[in-house]
Amino acid sequence: MFYGELFFDYLKQYLKTKLAYRLDLLNELISDFISQIVNLVFILVVFQHTNFIKGWSQQEIIFIYGFFLIPFAVFSTFFNFWEFQEKYIIKGEMDRILTRPAHHLFQVVLETMDPESLAGVFTGLIIMGYAGYQLDLEIAWYDPFVFVLLVLSGVFLYGGVYIAIASLGFFIDAKTGISPMIYNIQSYGRYPVDIYNKVIRFVLTWILPFAFVGVYPSAYFLGREDLFVYVWITPVMGIVFFVIGVWLWNLGVKNYRGAGS
Amino acid sequence: MYSIEVKDLTKEFKSYRSREGLSGAIRDLFTREFNIVRAVDGISFNVKKGEMVGYIGENGAGKSTTIKMLTGILKPTSGSIQVNGRDPHKQREAFVRTIGVVFGQRSQLWWDIAVQESFRLLKKVYKVSDEQYQTHMHEVIEILEIEDLLNRPVRKLSLGQRMRCELAAALIHNPPLLFLDEPTIGLDVLVKLKIREFLKELNARYGTTVLLTTHDLTDIEALCQRVVMLDEGKIIYDGELQELRENWGGGKSAAIEFTHRIQLEQLTALTGHLPIRWEQENPLKFRAILESNEMTVSELLACVAPHIEVKDFRIEEVSTEEIVQKIYQKGFTTYA
Repeated sequence: MFYGELFFDYLKQYLKTKLAYRLDLLNELISDFISQIVNLVFILVVFQHTNFIKGWSQQEIIFIYGFFLIPFAVFSTFFNFWEFQEKYIIKGEMDRILTRPAHHLFQVVLETMDPESLAGVFTGLIIMGYAGYQLDLEIAWYDPFVFVLLVLSGVFLYGGVYIAIASLGFFIDAKTGISPMIYNIQSYGRYPVDIYNKVIRFVLTWILPFAFVGVYPSAYFLGREDLFVYVWITPVMGIVFFVIGVWLWNLGVKNYRGAGS
Repeated sequence: MYSIEVKDLTKEFKSYRSREGLSGAIRDLFTREFNIVRAVDGISFNVKKGEMVGYIGENGAGKSTTIKMLTGILKPTSGSIQVNGRDPHKQREAFVRTIGVVFGQRSQLWWDIAVQESFRLLKKVYKVSDEQYQTHMHEVIEILEIEDLLNRPVRKLSLGQRMRCELAAALIHNPPLLFLDEPTIGLDVLVKLKIREFLKELNARYGTTVLLTTHDLTDIEALCQRVVMLDEGKIIYDGELQELRENWGGGKSAAIEFTHRIQLEQLTALTGHLPIRWEQENPLKFRAILESNEMTVSELLACVAPHIEVKDFRIEEVSTEEIVQKIYQKGFTTYA
């Protein structure tokens, strides 16, 4: 429970920081709102021009995209690790983290969190709702629970992959370009994997399993029974990748060398 | 009972070399050459509870590396550490509750929010109860005179104000052991004095053990009876500061200025029976170096003053800074 309280305390601190720069905050809110709207319009317009891709209808593709935005938004809120190596390892902020009595990974998550990214959840829900309405999808009473489970699995999976990448910073002195590269690959998970060739499909399912954040969980709601096996291993993949990420992180902390003096 | 027990502590770093030119860079991709650097080389020492110890050494001597191992940040390559009865790296979270850390070059406080907000958050992190916080922090805030700073954002504080707040932040959980790494770096004399006063008070009132690294030896002179001196990862001196001064300080000397020109021979003739060596600075100024501790300065004056008129007289004592400087320049063994 200690960590729960700590989370809210950090969140309060974050809000206070934001409120310290009022104009900046207003700016940010407006620009976030605009970018979400633009995003929404863009997606709807672009997908109007595609019809069927390998057995997936236009509406289904929009639905997958909408679903994907939700775990992605939650992930971006908590695993904002883009500057981790620069700030915590090269500049040595990790020293400070390590002298405080709470788990180091948790502290980094709290210090770098970016609650504004949660706006993506609403965009995602609107897109999903729109596509779902057009597809006339039925919603069973347990579907919301399955939805939450699948979203969380996706968040943990992404989290695990990015924790693992951030952990590389403990072992490699120089900055690496891995993170942007993986970031580009992850967008492939937003589209039905069977439109890709076998090799890419394999990679997106088992190596960098980003398909479990978009296509596979959406398949459940779209009633694509041929993919249900993947739907049910989504939580497993989430846990496995998260555990691997945390394990690598802990190994990295043991290897931490500190910066300067 | 010891606060810190360190035995045969060693820390090695791999340091990679990069080869020259583009072809070198490409070869570095596949095989990298590295040296193993021993930052800390088999040191052992103990610190008693309530002691204030100065940990000194040149840049790169291994001070920071030692402190980082003692605070659980770095994992030792070999050797054992027990601080407050725990292994700092293995039991990190339980351990760090029992220490306070101030890195002069790094801030514990949140930059954009008021000081007291940072305190409040740290209070939660360290699970300090309200009562404990009230009674203890009230005192700390009072002695450090930071009451008026509490509702200002950290970014608007001067370095001296910030440092005092940093100290208070490190003491929120009233730790029995405090690590200070360069706490007075860049501060003006008044703030330095205030911080020293505070540390003395803290030590007297709560019996807080303090391990201090600093480049400013006057800090150490003001606070610590004991110094541990480090060079190239090894301890070269561990003992009382007073002893270091007595044994390695060299003799006293006195600068004498006369009202008119004097020949060196005249002086040596007058003081020939005393263990004194004369040096001439200019025709009027001389320096007498007392080569025995038993000899008093008044003996010297008694020999000279009746015969030659003395305009000015000044006793010179070697500062700790000079002693340490000499030790590093000449090496400890040759100097000893």
